[in-house]
Amino acid sequence: MSAPAIAAHGLSKTFGARTVVRDVTLEVASGEIFGFLGPNGSGKSTTIKMLCGLVEPTRGEASICDLDIRTHGDAVRRTIGYMSQSFSLYGDLTVAENLEFYGRAYALSRAKRRERIDRLVAFSSLEPFRHQLAATLSGGWKQRLALAAALLHEPRVLFLDEPTAGIDPVARRDLWDLLFRLSESGVALFVTTHYMDEAERCARVGYIDGGELIAIGSRAELKALPGVTPPGTTRFSVRGDDAVALLAKARGAAYVRDATIFGDTLHLVVAADVTPAQMAQDLGVADGAVEPIEPGLEDVFVALTRERRKHP
Amino acid sequence: MKRSPFDLRGYGAVLYKELRHVVRDRATLILAVMLPIIQVTLFGYAINTKVEHVAAAVLNEDRGPESIAFVDALRASRTFDVVAYAGSRDALQRAIIAGRVQAAFDIPPTFTADLRAGRIAPVQALIDGSDATVAQPAFAAAGAIGASLRVRAPPPVDVRARVLFNPGLRSANFLVPGLIGLIMQLITMFLTALSIVGERERGTLDQIMVTPIGALGLMLGKITPYAIIGFVDMLLVLAAMRFIFAIPIAGSVPLLIVLSIGFLMAALGLGLLVSSNAKTQLAAMLGVLALTLPSILLSGFFFERSLMPPVMQWLGYLIPLTYFFEILRGIILRGASATDLIQPIVAMLALGGGVLLAASIRFTARG
Repeated sequence: MSAPAIAAHGLSKTFGARTVVRDVTLEVASGEIFGFLGPNGSGKSTTIKMLCGLVEPTRGEASICDLDIRTHGDAVRRTIGYMSQSFSLYGDLTVAENLEFYGRAYALSRAKRRERIDRLVAFSSLEPFRHQLAATLSGGWKQRLALAAALLHEPRVLFLDEPTAGIDPVARRDLWDLLFRLSESGVALFVTTHYMDEAERCARVGYIDGGELIAIGSRAELKALPGVTPPGTTRFSVRGDDAVALLAKARGAAYVRDATIFGDTLHLVVAADVTPAQMAQDLGVADGAVEPIEPGLEDVFVALTRERRKHP
Repeated sequence: MKRSPFDLRGYGAVLYKELRHVVRDRATLILAVMLPIIQVTLFGYAINTKVEHVAAAVLNEDRGPESIAFVDALRASRTFDVVAYAGSRDALQRAIIAGRVQAAFDIPPTFTADLRAGRIAPVQALIDGSDATVAQPAFAAAGAIGASLRVRAPPPVDVRARVLFNPGLRSANFLVPGLIGLIMQLITMFLTALSIVGERERGTLDQIMVTPIGALGLMLGKITPYAIIGFVDMLLVLAAMRFIFAIPIAGSVPLLIVLSIGFLMAALGLGLLVSSNAKTQLAAMLGVLALTLPSILLSGFFFERSLMPPVMQWLGYLIPLTYFFEILRGIILRGASATDLIQPIVAMLALGGGVLLAASIRFTARG
């Protein structure tokens, strides 16, 4: 078993009196896609920046492929790629020139630059835009260019800070296809995102809230956490014509512990002794409209966040 | 995590991209070349500190031959243009209050008689003092014209002054050499500060910091293109001065160029200092102005430093431009050699080197 691609232990960051990240401990294996989730301002970006060497941790340690980020900064920088939250390449340079710059930044030889730029342009399907100014690309293509630039030096670990924020669903899916191909080739991916459907694509997920990593594990492990579906309760989904009216009715029932709208259905956490038939009758829907369900990741995070805020 | 401040790696990569920014940004490039030319034209032609053609009104209550000779003398002077003849004292007052003239002469009815009788003949000259730079020479010229009429015998001591180095007393000869330094400072400071702060603003600096580009490589790569532009601007102004304004360069041109490069270091250092303290491009622009305006006033660009109060003179010693002005005027106008100018040269290089060193330490420490 080789060393983990990313290992962090007790990583913390304090700005003045404010602790932004507290005791984050996690491991990501080579070729793994790790989803890092949390609300805005929860410490996601600061954690990524510490792991990339952009922000110095106040406490704790971390290593990338066994290289300590404090003592081997230079080797770490050669091992990682980083794609920041906003488009951070040069709009007044062409696609090819942006890639050329990063190739030179990593001191690749001329032959290597040419070969890898060709390969990455093909990989990201950027060929038709090669000599176009980066500023004129649409959001999805800009992100592909940013990805290509982050891959020029063939990093073994790639950090992506909300790579799909603000791009359309098709471009989002295309970008994820590229990410899956990277993970197949053994690159570890550390991805932050707001989208639950993206979190569902990750092999393992961590959830950070208020600077603390409150849950980490595979999707199955997270869904089985005791706080998600408390003992003595079960989860149901209820289909109905008017989800808002259903929500009002459900909240009136004594056995309902929690109710949340998901599109045109209602997700309920109810006392285990209630039957679906009873619920259908109380809510005024057909018998078949009430079905037992597994919690989704969103249910997991909503439950964990509420629990944490109730008992801090 | 800790980065060495002397890490030169990535210089070529940063220079590669920075040169492309410069080439793509036509507007800025054109401005960087046009600005010196516009400035030279403005300072060389429009700004003239020599006082000539001051509009004057005359009230001649005498109308005798001596009074007509006095008015002729006024008209013949380059200082005054007689543009109006007033019919009364009141009209004369009005003309100056309304701003139609800056000088007014009232010749009393007894003027010719007084002169012929060998008495002193008073002429009332009113000068608009709102613009002191015009009023003082006009005041002196008015007295001189009177004296030229009155004094027939030669004065006992004959002082003949000869003006050295700028015989025509052209203000362009004083201002344009100084302009070389001013333009170099403005252009390099602005471009350096804006380029570095812009990178931080767009978030591209973070992207650079995850690469192995070294701190010194980044800094030098970023300032090299602007050093080149500043240098080209200096050559442009120098050529315009020599060939358009025909101001001869009395001293050594190579010495001038070498010392200009020395000054460029100081200007780049100031630009870096501004950039490491500014979060936005707007703040950077204000920072450049905040440093440049006092240096224009205190360095002796317009005003002779020895006439300033001691505190202001001391502040002037902290400004690299002060020494560069001394060097520019020394070499261009007086033909001074390096030995003649050893004091300002050493001071400028020491100050410039200090500023650049402080700026790079600050820049590389912040990463």
